[in-house]
Amino acid sequence: MMDLASVGQPAGHVEGPSKVTGQARYTADIRLPGLLYGKCLRSPFPHARIVSIDTSQAKALAGVHAVITGAELPDRRIGRFFLDKPVLARDVVRFVGEKVVAVAAESMDIAEEALTRIAVEYEALPAVFDPVKAMQEDAPRVHADTSTYTHPPVPDFVHPGDDRLYPDIPNVVSQVFYTHGDIEAGFAQAAREFTHTFTIPPVHQGYIEPHASVVQIEPDGKVNLWISNKTPFVAQAQFAAALDVAEDRVCVNTAPIGGDFGGKGSLMDSVVCYHLAAAAGRPVKMVMSYTEELLAGNPRHPAVITLRTGVDADGRIVARKARLVFSCGAYSAFTPLHTVHGSVHAAGPYRMPNVEIEVFRVYTNTVPAGHMRAPGAPQIVFGVESHMDLIAQELGLDPLEFRLRNTLIEGDAAPLGEKWKKIRCKETLEAAAKEAKWGAEKAANRGRGIGMYDREPGAFGPSSATLSIAADATLTLMTGAADTGTGSYTVLQQVVAEELQVPLESVRVVQGSTDSAPWEVGAGGSRLTHMAGQATLAAVQRLKEGLTAFAARHMETPSEQVAYRAGEFVNTNEQRLTLPTLMAALADREELPLRYTGEYVAEAPMDVTSFCAQIAEVEVDPATGQVTLQKLTTAHDVGTVLNPLTHQGQVEGGAIQGVGHALTEHLIVQDGAVTNVHLGDYKLPTSMDIPEMKTVLVESDAGPAPYEGKAIGEHSNVAVPAAVANAVFDAVGVRLMDLPVTAEKVYAALREKTARSRTMRRGNS
Amino acid sequence: MKPIQLRVNGQAVERDIPDNTLLIDLLRNGLDLTGTKEGCSVGVCGACTVLLDGQPVSSCLTLAVTADGCEVTTIEGLTEGDRLHPLQKAFIDYGGFQCGICTPGQIMSAKALLDENPHPSKDEIQSWMMGNLCRCTGYYKIIESIQAVADGKVST
Repeated sequence: MMDLASVGQPAGHVEGPSKVTGQARYTADIRLPGLLYGKCLRSPFPHARIVSIDTSQAKALAGVHAVITGAELPDRRIGRFFLDKPVLARDVVRFVGEKVVAVAAESMDIAEEALTRIAVEYEALPAVFDPVKAMQEDAPRVHADTSTYTHPPVPDFVHPGDDRLYPDIPNVVSQVFYTHGDIEAGFAQAAREFTHTFTIPPVHQGYIEPHASVVQIEPDGKVNLWISNKTPFVAQAQFAAALDVAEDRVCVNTAPIGGDFGGKGSLMDSVVCYHLAAAAGRPVKMVMSYTEELLAGNPRHPAVITLRTGVDADGRIVARKARLVFSCGAYSAFTPLHTVHGSVHAAGPYRMPNVEIEVFRVYTNTVPAGHMRAPGAPQIVFGVESHMDLIAQELGLDPLEFRLRNTLIEGDAAPLGEKWKKIRCKETLEAAAKEAKWGAEKAANRGRGIGMYDREPGAFGPSSATLSIAADATLTLMTGAADTGTGSYTVLQQVVAEELQVPLESVRVVQGSTDSAPWEVGAGGSRLTHMAGQATLAAVQRLKEGLTAFAARHMETPSEQVAYRAGEFVNTNEQRLTLPTLMAALADREELPLRYTGEYVAEAPMDVTSFCAQIAEVEVDPATGQVTLQKLTTAHDVGTVLNPLTHQGQVEGGAIQGVGHALTEHLIVQDGAVTNVHLGDYKLPTSMDIPEMKTVLVESDAGPAPYEGKAIGEHSNVAVPAAVANAVFDAVGVRLMDLPVTAEKVYAALREKTARSRTMRRGNS
Repeated sequence: MKPIQLRVNGQAVERDIPDNTLLIDLLRNGLDLTGTKEGCSVGVCGACTVLLDGQPVSSCLTLAVTADGCEVTTIEGLTEGDRLHPLQKAFIDYGGFQCGICTPGQIMSAKALLDENPHPSKDEIQSWMMGNLCRCTGYYKIIESIQAVADGKVST
C-alpha cells in the first residue's frame, strides 16, 4: 500500500461551503442588467407539417421584445455528432414538444402569455413511435431526406465496429456490428440455445436542475454564454458552429451543474436563446420547466433487446448473438456518438469466444434521446442479466453457479477480444454473494437476484489543468471541467496536496471559463479522476520543477542539489527555503502568480476494467404484487480509492438511481407524447424508498488514475434493475421481461401463473 | 398590486407586488436570494423549501402575499457571518450533497425537523425528509448528516 497523506482520506467537497450556503450560482441564478426571459411554444403533434404561423398578436403584447420562428433563422442544423436538429422547427414538427416559436419578454409571465397568443396551423402527418416498426418498409419516414445531414468521422476511442451510418433501412440512423470469433461455428458447438427479448422504456436523468441558458452579446459581437452543460469547451465548439462564428467569439462562463447523469451535454435551448438575445438586443435567460424536461429533454434511449445464447453440455457459453434496437426519437442530435456505445456490453463480463452484436439507432416520432449514466448499459444489462437467470433456470443451475462457470478469469480474453489485466470478476461476484448471504434460507415471498457489469475507466480526449502559486504561496488549481457534483474537484485538490505534501485546505480549486482555463473535454464517461487527475499531476510536476529552479537560484545551489519536501526546498547542505519565503523573494522579480499547466492524453486503450456485482433481496406481496427492495449488496472491483467519502457517494447515489429504474421510473409515452410530465407522476426514489445497502470494495492496484485509482461514477446504477427482476423471480416465480418492475405487472404475472397452474392441474387430472 | 411587509432572514422587507407573485420569485428575483432553488415547480421536489414562521413550505407553491407579516428564513439566513450552521457543516463533512442543487431545500427541511424534534431517530429523519428529492446521493449521507447534528457530533 502506498504511504499517502491527503489521497485516501474522506475529504468533504472542496466546493462545499458555496453549495451549503446558497452562494453557488447555477446557470438559472445568473442575473444581468436588462435580462429578458425566453420561452418556447412547442408542438402538440408528433408529426405534422407547419401550414402557417401567426405571431402578430404575441409581438403586439407589451413587454415582448422578440418573437422568432424557424423560418427566420439560418438553415443550420445542430447536434453533438449528427447535425440533424433545427434550432426551431422548419416546415415540419417531428415530436410532441418540439420547439416551434420562441419569445423573449420582460418577465416569464409575459413570455408565457405571449405564447398563448401565437396561432400555428398544422397538418398532421403519419407518425411512427415503435423503433422496430419504424424499420419496416411501409413505415412513415421521420426525416424525408437525410442526405444533407452531416457528421464528423467516428472517433477512434470507441470500440471498433463495422459502422454503417444512415444505411438503406427505413429510419435507421446507424447500424453497427461488433463481432469476435465465429458466430456460426459457436452456435454449432452449442448443446442448447436460448433466445429472449426484453423491452426497456425511456427514463429521465432526474437531475433536479432543469436545463438553463443565459446569453449576453457584447457590443463587439462576442457572446457570453452560461449553460448547464458539463463540457464547456465542447459546448463552445458546438455553439460556435451553430452560429457559424469562430470559437473564440464565444465564452462559456462558469457555473456548477445541478445534476448531470449524462443529460447535461447538449446545447439544449442555448442557440435559440442566442437568437432571442440578438433579436431583442438584450441578454436573455431560458430555464426549462420540469414539465418541458420530462416532455422534451433528452431521456435515455428506450430499447428492444434480443439475445440468443448457445451453451455447451457443461453450461458454458459458446456463442452470443445480440440484436439491439434503440429509439433515438425524432433527432439524433443529443448523443455525442453515432451509436449507443454501451452496446459492447451485450456479452456481459463472461467468457464467450464467439460474439455478434448488431445495434440499430432508429428515428421515431418521439422525444429525442440522449445520454444517461453508462449510456446503453442499463438497458442492455437488464437484458443480459435476466437472460443469464433464464438460462440458468432452464439448465437447472443456481444463478450464482451458472455465472461462476462463465465469469471472466485472469488470462481470459473479454468477449470482444479485449485483454484486461488483473481480472477480478469472479472475486467480485464471490464477495457480493458472501455479503448478501446467497444461499441462506429465506422467508416466504423473499428472493435474491444477481446483476453484473463491468466498465473501464474513461480515457478519451485531452485533459489539462493549470496550477498557480501566488505571492502569498496560496495554490489554485484551475480546471475547465464543470463541477457536476461527483467530487472531481476534491480529488484534484487531494492530488495537489498529496504531491506537494501540504494541507488540503491550502489548495483551492476553481473552474475557469473557456477564455481562462486550458482546454478540457470535461465530465463524462467516468474520465475525470483518471484524465483530469493525470493532467493535475503533470501540472504539479511542472510547478515543482519550476519552483525548484527558482529556489536553486535563490540558494545559489545547482538545481540537482535541491529537493522539494513538504512545503520547503532543501539543498544538500540542509539549507532550507520555505514556499512562502521563496514566493516573497520572487515577488520583486517575477510576474506572479506563477502558472504551470499540465496536459494529459491517454496513449493506449485501457487495459483494465472494473467489475461490479450486485445482489438484490426483495419481498413480494402476493396479494398486490408490491415489490419491496429490502437489501442491496453492491460489490466493486476498485483501484486505490482516492476519496472514500465521495467514492461511496457515487456508489450509493448510482445504486438508488438503479432502484428508481428498477421499480418506479419510466416516461409513459402515448401516441408519441410523454404523459407523466411532472415529478408527482414521474416517480424518482425518495428517502423512504431506499433499502439497506451493503457496499463491498474488492481492492486492486491496477488503475490508470493517479495512485492507481479506477473509476466509479457509472458502475452502481447499471445492474440493479436486473438484480431486482431476478430477485422477484426467485421470490414468487414470475419473470418480467420489461421495466420497471411495478406492482401491477407483478400482480398480473402472478394471476397468469396461478391460472396456468390451474389449467395444468386440470390437464393432468 | 398589493403592498406587503415581511422579514426575510431578519431583515425588514416592504414591497408592492402583483397578487400572483410566488414567494420563490420574490426571493430569487426580487431580493436576489438565489440560494432557494426551483426544481419541479409543483411542490414535489422540495428544492425551494424555505421556512415561513418556522414551518417548511414549498416557496414555488406559496403566494408571496401570504407571507405578509411573516418571518421567512432561507438558506442565506442560516450562516452567522462566516460561521456555518451545524447542518451546513455536517452536509459537507458527511457528504450530504453532491451537485448541491437540492441542498438548500434539504438543509431547510432538516432545520425545521431539528427545531421541532432535536433528537429524531433515523426513521424519523428518513420519514421527515421524504419531501426533498435528491438524485445524487441516494439519501444515505443526507440522513447521516442530519443524524450527526442531532447526536451533537458537529461543532462549528
